[in-house]
Amino acid sequence: MTLFGPTTRAIRERLYEEDRRYSVRQVAGRVGIEPAYLSKIERGEVSPPSEVTTVRLAKELGQDPDVMLALAGKVSADLQAIIRKRPRLFADLIRQLKEAPDEAVLRVVREVRDGDW
Amino acid sequence: MIILEDNHLGFDFPEIHAEARCAIDFQRTLRIPDDGRDYPLPPGLGSFPLRHLDDYAARLPESWRVRGGVIAPMHQAEAMWINFQSDYPFAVKVATGKICAITGDSWVDRLNRDPQDYVVLPEQPWLDGYCVEEGVVRQFVAMPLGEGYTVEEQLTGAGLHGGIQLVAYPMKAGHYEALRSERDGLRDHVIKMAEPELAPMPAMGLAPGGRMKQEIDDDPYGLDAWGQRHGSRCFITLLNSVQWMAVTGERPPTEPPTAQNYAALGLPWFDYYGGDARAVAGSEKLRGLKSVVQQAKGTGQAPPPDNESIVVPDVIPLGKPRTRPVRESMV
Repeated sequence: MTLFGPTTRAIRERLYEEDRRYSVRQVAGRVGIEPAYLSKIERGEVSPPSEVTTVRLAKELGQDPDVMLALAGKVSADLQAIIRKRPRLFADLIRQLKEAPDEAVLRVVREVRDGDW
Repeated sequence: MIILEDNHLGFDFPEIHAEARCAIDFQRTLRIPDDGRDYPLPPGLGSFPLRHLDDYAARLPESWRVRGGVIAPMHQAEAMWINFQSDYPFAVKVATGKICAITGDSWVDRLNRDPQDYVVLPEQPWLDGYCVEEGVVRQFVAMPLGEGYTVEEQLTGAGLHGGIQLVAYPMKAGHYEALRSERDGLRDHVIKMAEPELAPMPAMGLAPGGRMKQEIDDDPYGLDAWGQRHGSRCFITLLNSVQWMAVTGERPPTEPPTAQNYAALGLPWFDYYGGDARAVAGSEKLRGLKSVVQQAKGTGQAPPPDNESIVVPDVIPLGKPRTRPVRESMV
């Protein structure tokens, strides 16, 4: 079982304590799935949902879609397309950054943007 | 690739060479007297803070957001110099208001050799102003756009850009490997002392201040040495102290001491000897510009205060002295 279900449930129940609109029924309705299906997802009785549903659920619960997809054992289609375009370069990059501390990774992703001037 | 770290811009070109990196920061300094005399180099009083422009994009006008780059605070009439740190050779173009600080020409995204419109690192450890004559620069002094002081306004008649523009080109790896065994390195005259979008803002630009002795070294390598396909550019948008606080919520650094106070305390000034390098001639266009004081007097305005002439008490030489060839014996 992945951590996706229990994590989703914990986040939703925390939100529900503050706001009754985060019941299983109402969240499922806004995401576009059956309440029974969301309940099974949260209990880990079924595999995590599709990428589209996972992203909708992440947005509904105020979570980062990439983090929720990772919890579901998935990589978003746009990231897959980026890696497929230059597989060797990105495979090398990701392997090199595997053990790097967060600040080192941040240096790679936080480039000073050059704009239009 | 440019990263921002500890108020330094780090230019990194791993695709060229593992050692191809340089750091550039902007040093706070005192404004030298704008009295027509040539002064030695003033000290560095610490780096200006730099922040990613994108972190404050929601509070900035669209015309600034599109530039990308970083933001920095400067008080009106505050001076600065640019500090280059590199062991790897780079050609760096510096412009203010998209006017080249070496030639006075409009910005282009390439290097030019005749006249040379860039500085060469690590031979050039810093740049304090506009190259107006061989061995003389006029200090970079912040002034608001719209009042006619900046180099951009004096040369183009309009103050559209302001700020500082940089592009760094690393030396090609093959040239570097050939050079590697012959190089040496250099300055640290830095004295360690120390949500809603805003309405359209007047930008800050840089204007020519007092004269000081500084040579811009002639490129000893030639244009072919530089990897011009791999340049990285950055626009540094300058905010005045009020804008900086409104945008970032941070206090800008305090205003630096005046040249008079600094000299009265007997603190050191500097002179730099760049070894045997030849210096570029200086720009006719830049030489013809009015300094901040000349412009103020010409338009009947009061020049910035605290800029009286001083006697420089102590000059510390930095770098290698120029060597004079010794004549060989005839016997």
